[in-house]
Amino acid sequence: MPIDKVTLQILANHCAAATESMAYTLFRTAHSTFVKETEDFTTGLTTPEGLTFASPKDLGATWFVGLDYGDAIRMVDSYRPGDLCLTNDPYSGYACTHSPDIHLWKPIFWKDELVCYSVGHIHNTDVGGAVPASLSRTLVEVHQEGIRVPPSKLYNEGRLNDELVRVMMTNVRVPEQNWGDLKAQIAAMNTGERKVHEMIERFGIETFRQGMGDLLDYSEQQTRNLIRTIPDGDYFFADYMDEDAAGGVPCRIAITLRVKGDELVLDYTGSDPQLTSSLNMPTGGKERHILPMVGLVYVFYTLDPTILLNSGMMRPARAILPEGTVVNPKFPAAVGMRSLTCMRVQDTTFGCFARALPDRMPACPSGGGPMMNVKTTDNRTGRTVMASIDPVLGGAGGSPHADGSDGSGANSSFLKNTPVEINEVEVPVKILRYGLAQDSGGPGKHRGGLASSLEFKVFAPNTTITARNRDRSHFAAWGAGGGKASAPSVFALNPGTNHEVNLENTDIFTVEPGDVILMTCSGAGGWGDPLERPADAVLHDVKCSFISAAAALRDYGVVIVDGKVDERQTESRRAAMRKEAKPADRQAFFDYGPERSGFERIWTLANYDALTAILKTLPVNWRFFVKRKIFDAVGRMQGGERRGDGSEVRQAFDRILKEYPQLQAQAAE
Amino acid sequence: MAYRIGVDIGGTFTDFCVFNAATNALHSFKVLSTPDKPGSEVMEGLRQIEARFGVKPKDVEYFTHGTTVGVNTVIQRKGIKLCLITTENFADVLELARLKMPDPYHLFSRRPVPLVTRDRVLTVRERIAADGSVEEPIDEANVRAALAEARAMGAEGIVVALIHAYRNAAHEQKIKEIAQRQAPELPVYLSSEVWPIIREYERTVTTVINGYVQPRVAHYLGSLQKALAEMGVPAEPLVTKSNGGVMSAELGKTQCVQMVLSGTAAGVIGASFIARQAGIRNCMSLDIGGTSADVALIIDGQPQFGTGETIGEFPIYIPSVAVSSIGAGGGSIAWVDALGVLKVGPESAGSNPGPACFGRGGTRATITDAFAICGFIGQGDLGYSQVKLDLGAAKAAIGVIASKLGLGLEETAESIIKVACSGMYMEVSKLISRTGVDPRAFSLLAFGGAGPMLACFAARDLGMPNVLVPNTPGVLSAFGGLIADIKNDFIKTVYLDLDGAAAATIRRNFAELERTAVHWLKEEQRYRGESRLVYSADMRYRGQSFEIETMLDRSWVEAGDHAKIASAFHDRHMAVYGHSDPKAAVQVINLRLVIVGTSPKPDFQRRALAAGAVTPVKSIEVYLDGKRQKVPLYRRAELKPGQTFSGPAVILQDDTTTCVPGGYAGRVDEWGNLQLDQA
Repeated sequence: MPIDKVTLQILANHCAAATESMAYTLFRTAHSTFVKETEDFTTGLTTPEGLTFASPKDLGATWFVGLDYGDAIRMVDSYRPGDLCLTNDPYSGYACTHSPDIHLWKPIFWKDELVCYSVGHIHNTDVGGAVPASLSRTLVEVHQEGIRVPPSKLYNEGRLNDELVRVMMTNVRVPEQNWGDLKAQIAAMNTGERKVHEMIERFGIETFRQGMGDLLDYSEQQTRNLIRTIPDGDYFFADYMDEDAAGGVPCRIAITLRVKGDELVLDYTGSDPQLTSSLNMPTGGKERHILPMVGLVYVFYTLDPTILLNSGMMRPARAILPEGTVVNPKFPAAVGMRSLTCMRVQDTTFGCFARALPDRMPACPSGGGPMMNVKTTDNRTGRTVMASIDPVLGGAGGSPHADGSDGSGANSSFLKNTPVEINEVEVPVKILRYGLAQDSGGPGKHRGGLASSLEFKVFAPNTTITARNRDRSHFAAWGAGGGKASAPSVFALNPGTNHEVNLENTDIFTVEPGDVILMTCSGAGGWGDPLERPADAVLHDVKCSFISAAAALRDYGVVIVDGKVDERQTESRRAAMRKEAKPADRQAFFDYGPERSGFERIWTLANYDALTAILKTLPVNWRFFVKRKIFDAVGRMQGGERRGDGSEVRQAFDRILKEYPQLQAQAAE
Repeated sequence: MAYRIGVDIGGTFTDFCVFNAATNALHSFKVLSTPDKPGSEVMEGLRQIEARFGVKPKDVEYFTHGTTVGVNTVIQRKGIKLCLITTENFADVLELARLKMPDPYHLFSRRPVPLVTRDRVLTVRERIAADGSVEEPIDEANVRAALAEARAMGAEGIVVALIHAYRNAAHEQKIKEIAQRQAPELPVYLSSEVWPIIREYERTVTTVINGYVQPRVAHYLGSLQKALAEMGVPAEPLVTKSNGGVMSAELGKTQCVQMVLSGTAAGVIGASFIARQAGIRNCMSLDIGGTSADVALIIDGQPQFGTGETIGEFPIYIPSVAVSSIGAGGGSIAWVDALGVLKVGPESAGSNPGPACFGRGGTRATITDAFAICGFIGQGDLGYSQVKLDLGAAKAAIGVIASKLGLGLEETAESIIKVACSGMYMEVSKLISRTGVDPRAFSLLAFGGAGPMLACFAARDLGMPNVLVPNTPGVLSAFGGLIADIKNDFIKTVYLDLDGAAAATIRRNFAELERTAVHWLKEEQRYRGESRLVYSADMRYRGQSFEIETMLDRSWVEAGDHAKIASAFHDRHMAVYGHSDPKAAVQVINLRLVIVGTSPKPDFQRRALAAGAVTPVKSIEVYLDGKRQKVPLYRRAELKPGQTFSGPAVILQDDTTTCVPGGYAGRVDEWGNLQLDQA
């Protein structure tokens, strides 16, 4: 019988207290600055089946609410009191999603009975492998991404597994840091155990055991009520990463959101084949894997902030993740940079919901901003300095009720920046400018949030700049409800000089003394017709330097004379703009910006569907290769050959089949 | 006859503590606050003091006072129109803040609109480098243009916060000079003067808040000084500060940011005095008012200090008594969600309309209403006869919740109390884990109007074995102000690698801080008594991005003993984080100096312990632990030191009601405090 609704709330508060205490313990005792600065860690409690029934809200990464530890837990034969297990293998159990994330779980017993698990992870700066920090877009198999430990016992009935620790620490670059952070994680697991014991003493074992399930049911019920407010139907949306590998072609994420009653499906059919780069998302095809669901968590919580954050909220949803695609790669595809893909998956999810709930969802948030890392030499001391100087983030999309927040927001909300003054004292660089990027937000009745922008100069030879997760240099954040797309991201070396270099999505490069690096991520999309934005709001944006006077005129039709809106001129200008707009543009709900619109004139929906249909029939190891070949062939076609109905794609594939007879045999199978 | 008076102005009530230095008698009472006419409640209080205790204004030799004028100015956004001048290319410092959003799961989460909007941020061309050297000299014409623009915009004050000004204030000073010539009517606030810390956002926002509230606070303090003088009070009024000390009202007129959060800090100072006196080393103070609960840890008899406390929607970074505010108070509203689950808060009925049972038009059930339904309150007057209990209104409000839950009225009321306590448990658990202390070694010191009502329930959840309720729990902030020392903080950012070479720099900078501090105390504050200096430094391991404050011994500084300084840091790191690395390089970021001028303290006498049990005033019926039961009602004034009783019981006093569940043994200690121990 379910526990009563008063006790349920009290238990919910005590469970939250347990996981918050775990998080604060971890945060307080962690060694690495990375953990303290980025808060890239989680803590939680799971049922014996591995479903998270409690997670913290104050601290930690926002991506792993409702993570399912079940398969990882079941890969260990048996559990005894005092055991503590570990894995960082993205292909064993699919709790871990890339090798730097070391996940721990501790069985919690009450009188010899296993009641639940305390769980959590820390993103370690390095776990060995081909490159420092273990992550690079250029890696192609998971073996290059550091040491991998399948689900194993770190403690066996209270005894530390020294050999395992020794093997791990031998394979990483800064072992004392990993070990220090591991100790903090262990302390957090033990805090969880103590708190669970206190709860059992207080509520009784029966209530506690029943309560775990009831908390999942509660969240599930809240979610079902919420889904019922979404009209039934199929809602398709696609978005792209600029490149499927360094210097590559776009990679599409496609989702069809199917809502029926109080349940929904995210069907990823139509997403690109798995990649020969580390942008793959390891999900094992599990229908409630967290990575394809992250966008849902944001949407659900935004629609109902009282929703309890646990695995129950996943129950009314499932994902369809075709094997051999970027959202369900086959071993041993590299997966280290899955966060870039996951960001785009979130944008795509938001797009589906913007179709389903046009009056309740925002336009696309900013994207493509990296964490800027610098490795350089201090000329005064000769010391090598390696530092993360800032996350370059951007704002939230405009929404039906307000402008998007500037500089950060939406799904880029939990990172902190580093003060300019701290950067300049710590790292031998000079920050030339740090602030918001004018005109970067998508125009709209409610303007898209602005990007942040960082410009700095280096002073030592052989300085290495790393900018992981670079994207949106081509395809901007889309606008919705008649709002416009944002400006794309800008990454430049020595901007405004005669030796300026457009770095686009480069994520690692070397610079020399005197070089200046400028990084601006994309802004966020606007919402609603920009011509409906009150002229006063446009004027205020100009006075705040958020938009230029030229943009006020071009995008909003607002004429500003002597610091004031010229009402008459504005009116006539806006009327003219309304008249000039093509009917198709006027009716379009989404605006994708010029680059994507140009791309989609060649890669129409029908063409992309044809591509997906062809690739699906091929062996997984051929798919990426053939995709590139088809892109090449279609790219070379002349205007007359383009029909946009899928036939040119099939035509290109036929030619490829002729060129590679061995593929013909495979495809026929 | 010499009297000392402490006053704390809150949202609803203004609290007074009157101490007779000759007899050691302490009196307290409250009057209703007059937010529309700040200061008039003080006059009203002084009139009542004369009427009640026969204290004439001319006998008031010491007067301290905490006010919410500053904090209200920020919350209601009624400060002056400021312009901010920053270094060119860094104009968005307030817009970006530190990026992290208040609710990171919410796609519509927003940062608050800055107190200086971006259109009123002006920039000047100049640049100081990280080492304090001038990289680009300031361009005077450029400054004059910026000031002209500020004037054209109708600025009422100018905040100047330039990059690396904590290291070299010359450019900020230059702007001030030019401004004083060009626009003498505009007050100018420099980040290098208000609180010169490294980290541009933190320094800027602190300076902005100072400027934003300054004219209003100064005006208020001026009229208070005048009114007190007119009434014939000879004492120069002192104001309480966020750092737990006091300073003269005259200094408060310019150093406003120091006093914006003073009320909560003074409460903790009062609590730590009482805990020390009662021989309690470690305690958690829990101050529950109408809208929020303030929790602070007192370790080894000392309050803890921190920075980054919030005022309204904004953080300020001056040294403050560390207080965590929880959104749960006597006015927190109970509600039932769509799935029938009972919730309490975060919405609050506040002080207006307040709980339904206050009969001021509140209709929604609050925690206080739940206590009324359970029979714990309503046995006497509330709040010094200022409020009468309307039980009918409470019944109606709780009834709405009861019908949704399908429970009886009293069962519902007790459920509300339990859910509220579990919410408080969650918030306090965070604080405990953040600091790594063991709650079983702590007493809970409860004050504020609603603190003693909830304290035992909260302590039971938290595993804290002992609850202490002081004599005057309703006016502890006023009491804290009365006993607080004159105190000021000084800081110098040095950013050094701690080695032999650093020792001389540290010594030199401390000597300079000491000169400034002594000048502040003797000349600006005109203090003539005993004083002491407290040395500390913010240190970290190289590569860390956060510092911890480590207390230093003056002798180490003078002897240039960097090894001792480093070793103190390693110990502190171990205590705070559970690990240290004696081999790692240590950096000194800031040097801190606190100067303290001791204020006169009441010399309370231990009272003789009487033996035996107390006689209840009467027996009342309350609903507790799931049933109606008869419990004794005691009057606090009649409880004598040494007397004992056992729970369940209810203790009534002017400023609060203490609820004692079963399983508690109560006694009155030799200072008159109620000590409640869980069996």
